[in-house]
Amino acid sequence: MTDMFASLGNWNWLIFGFILMALETIAPGVFLFWLGLAALLVGLVSFVVTMSWQIQLVMFAIFAAAAVPVWRRLARPKLDASASPFLNKRTEALLGREFTLEKPIIDGSGTVRIGDTVWRVAGPDTPAGTRVKVVQVDGANLTVAVT
Amino acid sequence: MSGFDIFAIVLVLLVIATLLAGVKTVPQGYDWTIERFGKYTQTLSPGLNLIVPYFDRVGRKINMMEQVIDIPEQEVITKDNATVTVDGVAFFQVFDAAKASYEVANLTQAITVLTMTNIRSVMGSMDLDQVLSHRDEINERLLRVVDAAVSPWGVKVNRIEIKDIVPPADLVEAMGRQMKAERVKRADILAAEGQRQSEILRAEGAKQGQILQAEGRREAAFRDAEARERLAEAEAKATLAVSEAIGKGDVAALNYFIADKYIKAFGQFADAPNQKIIMLPMEATSMLGSLAGIGEIAKATFGESAASATAAARRGGSVPSSGPTPPAVPPQ
Repeated sequence: MTDMFASLGNWNWLIFGFILMALETIAPGVFLFWLGLAALLVGLVSFVVTMSWQIQLVMFAIFAAAAVPVWRRLARPKLDASASPFLNKRTEALLGREFTLEKPIIDGSGTVRIGDTVWRVAGPDTPAGTRVKVVQVDGANLTVAVT
Repeated sequence: MSGFDIFAIVLVLLVIATLLAGVKTVPQGYDWTIERFGKYTQTLSPGLNLIVPYFDRVGRKINMMEQVIDIPEQEVITKDNATVTVDGVAFFQVFDAAKASYEVANLTQAITVLTMTNIRSVMGSMDLDQVLSHRDEINERLLRVVDAAVSPWGVKVNRIEIKDIVPPADLVEAMGRQMKAERVKRADILAAEGQRQSEILRAEGAKQGQILQAEGRREAAFRDAEARERLAEAEAKATLAVSEAIGKGDVAALNYFIADKYIKAFGQFADAPNQKIIMLPMEATSMLGSLAGIGEIAKATFGESAASATAAARRGGSVPSSGPTPPAVPPQ
């Protein structure tokens, strides 16, 4: 086994890197892809510059750590763009929409009917039947203002 | 194996472990809470997230999708003391992962128990009939109460539905009997109504018939009377005409007619096929005197001698009730 690793020499890093990348498809989101990239880089550098395996290991560690800021810069905006931005954020989809007060807002709390359920809303005291606009959401709490 | 060898290996392992600890991929539909030294600091949304390794730990993984809880069966006593078995479902969604994690110890259990107790209080304030027929109202009331109660936990209850309301078997049977009796009653009433209507209609018909008959009789009587009046009028006119004619003409014309009729009547006697014994009353002799009238007619026609004395005696004979008015014989 060790003989085989030794015989393969610098190819070890490339093989290791591709295996890590392949593993990313099986266990996505565990950052293996970036470790694989780091291993590939180490492999490529080792072809150019001869280094002891310890140095190579340390280099791998450094590349792996450096992958984090690189990944954040590259991948974050793309990953955050979702086809359905309001998934599991039902309240945010209500921002700016207008509804009719079902129960008057008394002491800062009233209700509106949205869909087939009742939402409790906060806002300035207003009589029932007034048109109100959702101006702010915080979790399940809607803040409304009179339009 | 020098120290540097071991250091390099350990360093690599440490870096990998650190990376795995610091990079967190949160799947869609979940929010993870992060605790720094056990204290909540932030919530991770779905996607790739970085946390500070060794300081931060993933606390709770909260499901942000709408979830369904089965509300287990329970016995509820209604306002009119009927015991019914009720179960239901509740739909809720977490909107604030932090509150749902730390404000309440066991969220689903809390919502379940809260819903169960509220089902009791809402149904306990209603009669059995209301409970069975006003499910929407029950759901609505439950939703309002439970939703208000769970809001401190960052949760919104979207819907509570009562699934099954099962009254005890003997009560169901009684309800069935009541419904049957109700229908039978309705059927009986309808039948009676029908009979009443038909009786009324029949009576109406009979009444109408009688009225029409009476009207017919009245009409007929009126017309009869009219006919008789007309007849009398006609007779009067005829009589008047005859007497006028007599007044204008001679009694001889009258006598002629009488003689004519007399002879015709005798002729009919003669024609009759049975034995003929004609009994002439004493009075008949005076009738025979009218034959003298014939002679007078002859005289009036052929001679200038007036037999007015006898003719005057014969005036005032009865006028025939009908028949043609005799033509007035003009005086020669």
